[in-house]
Amino acid sequence: MKFIPKKPRDGINVSDVHPLMEAGTLIVGLTAIFIVIALALVFIIEVALYFVPAETEARLFSDWMPDDLVTVSPADERLLQTQLLVDRLASHWAESPYEFRVEIDDSELSNAMALPGGLIIVTQGLLDQVESENELAFVLGHELGHFRNRDHLRALGRGIVLSLFFAVVTGNDVAGIGIKATDITLRGFSREQESRADEFGLAIVHSQYGHVNEAARLFERWDEDSANVREILTYLSTHPQPGDRVDRLRRIADRDGWNTDGEITALNW
Amino acid sequence: MALRFGSRDMEDSVQKVSMLFNYGLPLVIILVAYFIGSYLENRHFRNIRKREDDLHGFPVVSFDTMPDDWNATTSDMVTGSIVISLDYFKRVIAGLRGLVGGRIKTYEPLLERARREALLRMTESAREQGFDAIFNVRLETSRLANARRDGKGTAGVEMLAFGTAVKLKSRFG
Repeated sequence: MKFIPKKPRDGINVSDVHPLMEAGTLIVGLTAIFIVIALALVFIIEVALYFVPAETEARLFSDWMPDDLVTVSPADERLLQTQLLVDRLASHWAESPYEFRVEIDDSELSNAMALPGGLIIVTQGLLDQVESENELAFVLGHELGHFRNRDHLRALGRGIVLSLFFAVVTGNDVAGIGIKATDITLRGFSREQESRADEFGLAIVHSQYGHVNEAARLFERWDEDSANVREILTYLSTHPQPGDRVDRLRRIADRDGWNTDGEITALNW
Repeated sequence: MALRFGSRDMEDSVQKVSMLFNYGLPLVIILVAYFIGSYLENRHFRNIRKREDDLHGFPVVSFDTMPDDWNATTSDMVTGSIVISLDYFKRVIAGLRGLVGGRIKTYEPLLERARREALLRMTESAREQGFDAIFNVRLETSRLANARRDGKGTAGVEMLAFGTAVKLKSRFG
């Protein structure tokens, strides 16, 4: 047997694919798959909502809290007053299955959230901003509207889906995921969901005070006062633009013949 | 108000910076790893090809017995080994590949380099010691260390090439 020297051949054991091409294919492909699964899960949540009555939800989540909430002391005066206000407002929604609980999130950014089991979270920042009870009542009434339309569960479902994906992609333990309020706020609601919640909120304010004066004053102020854009940025990330919103609320009041003048109730703190 | 604004500005920039660190930094590391990794890989391949050219004609075969026409006078075992690690870019892409399966294309050139480098080191060592040929060449690989404390993630692999080197009375006459 004769030995014939040969040079090793290149390119047999190495795929002829540029590494960036491989990276691009994987990233685009996996993203597409994830989007499809996410849409399917969101759809499943919509279906599940149909079969889980609000009473069951209220029972299941009766003492549930999101993991990342920083609450103020339970003896806080503003917490007590806000809770009382919510109770008064909720009395106008007779068939409500929830026992509403109010928590104040110790955040400077203005926002309010509706969470499963009748949990309403308002931030310190929002309470600093409101100047009358009527303003606060409308914000709370709006959140009650989300409960009535069950928007909060949709947001929660999407929040869970997001956390799940995050866990899968980063390789974390899926069982260890908590539901974070930030996930939920990230999702926000559609314009239509917001409008319906606004209508319900305004109706509740009207039932409570007999007029809707100053209900939208908070948004009017935000609209006029472009200087504190930063203050309202978080609220706006999950809620409609103040200007359009004030106009729409005014039209609703006109349509239903609600009085837009009336005595303003001062805050109790 | 002005004061509170100031502090909020601070808070905002802190948030922005931490966002940047959370999402931007891994991306920057991946890109830097890619550029440095490809540069080193290309340089290594050029080096390997050059040395293979130098050793062209030195018989390295995998027969487990010595070919009949080799009239050996001396023999000894020769080895060549290399420990090679993957860069962060390769690891991330391999991780994504692990979700769906298939060929881990970013690892292939890495192991190719390791095999050829190990063979080269073995052959060079044989030539330095005055041997004329190597038979019964084998390759072995072993996972060397864990990059993460949880025992997952390979920091490097060792590629070992070994064989029986012989001195011949007459070179393939």
